[in-house]
Amino acid sequence: MPGQIKSLLDSIIQQRAKGNSTIAGTTKTKLILKGVNPDRFNSSSPDDPAMLSKVRAIAVELGVSV
Amino acid sequence: MPIKTANSTKRLPAAVQDLKRQCGASQPRVVLLFSSSKYDAGELNQLMQQAFPDACVVGCSTAGEIAGGRMLTESVVAMFLDGDIVEDASAAVVENLRGEARVREAFSSFEQHFHAPVSSMDIHKYVRLVLADGLSGAEENLMEKIGDRTDIFFIGGSAGDDLKFHSTHVFHQGKAYTNAAVLVLLRLKRGFEILKTQSFHSTGKVLTATKVDEPLRKVLEFNHQPAVTAYAAALGVPAESLPGLFMKHPLGLMVDGEPFVRSPQRVDGESILFYCQIKQGMDLEVLEGTDIVADTRKAIEARLSADGPIAGIIDFQCILRTLELRAENRCEQYGAIFSGLPVAGFSTYGEAYLGHMNQTSTMLLFR
Repeated sequence: MPGQIKSLLDSIIQQRAKGNSTIAGTTKTKLILKGVNPDRFNSSSPDDPAMLSKVRAIAVELGVSV
Repeated sequence: MPIKTANSTKRLPAAVQDLKRQCGASQPRVVLLFSSSKYDAGELNQLMQQAFPDACVVGCSTAGEIAGGRMLTESVVAMFLDGDIVEDASAAVVENLRGEARVREAFSSFEQHFHAPVSSMDIHKYVRLVLADGLSGAEENLMEKIGDRTDIFFIGGSAGDDLKFHSTHVFHQGKAYTNAAVLVLLRLKRGFEILKTQSFHSTGKVLTATKVDEPLRKVLEFNHQPAVTAYAAALGVPAESLPGLFMKHPLGLMVDGEPFVRSPQRVDGESILFYCQIKQGMDLEVLEGTDIVADTRKAIEARLSADGPIAGIIDFQCILRTLELRAENRCEQYGAIFSGLPVAGFSTYGEAYLGHMNQTSTMLLFR
């Protein structure tokens, strides 16, 4: 099912921000600094296993469950 | 005046007496101390803590100092923040930066001090300063750990040593440390803003890091070509010309159109060493330098016109920017941007705002 990466990234940002747009912005920046740019993924992006694994690891680092 | 700055070029112990005299009768809650490596860091810190026994005294060694609208060398500068600016403050040392860099203890100490979990702290009231050993090569790891644990903004710089590249120090409560960072958590009475400014625009040319050695901050390949070949091709120059263009054409990790600058340090065979980690797969845009003085002035003026008076500024200014200003004999012009504002800062070996970066000025603006 394509789009899982985008879905995970959106979930990380939402969970971390809890509706705060400032924190949503800084979380996105943190993701880019960690090497994953959310803008590069959309609902039809292939589910690259290596990238999925990387995003799940980042979620753990950021203390959110996906 | 809730924020005062002071500077001295005297020797120790007279320099500390000089700073104390300039502080006057104020009772600072926090003293930020930025000093040239000409000073014995241990002695300086011991004397400063004795001079300000009730204050949280923190800081670091530098590669040039900034105070009172002037860019200085071989001096010690201080910023005094009193209770009208800082309601409360706590500082902690993170040692073994090149190793585990355990930030957990630091966070625990903050939570004990403020009697609240860091996760519950209001991001509009709390701000964190990060001062790191500038020769550790480990700032990214530290900042990721901090950013993972908290949404509180952090800003800061990496300590310098006047371009000797021998040893840098961070200061905490009367002691100087190497291979360490000092984290300072401030609860501010009034508002604050963070200003990140760099003088570059994107050329639109993209280099994707396809082979890297992250811990060494080395890129072996861009776009599946040797790093030197690809970088030179992007600039349209022969490979041997590349090192001379690094300062004016670093790379930018773009976030919503704004670069987080990654500056090349030197060519290493066909690879390039940077002052900042680049991760595998990162897309970086080739940048082109613009006017530091004009851009910084514009950024400060925009903040003044948008939100009114600024009570003081801490300026963490990249040494590469300072070197450019020195080469162009424009340090006075840069200092004049801050004329009339209490400003203190230093020339850094790296800047911090959400992460580690280069060729940038990160500033904390107190309202």
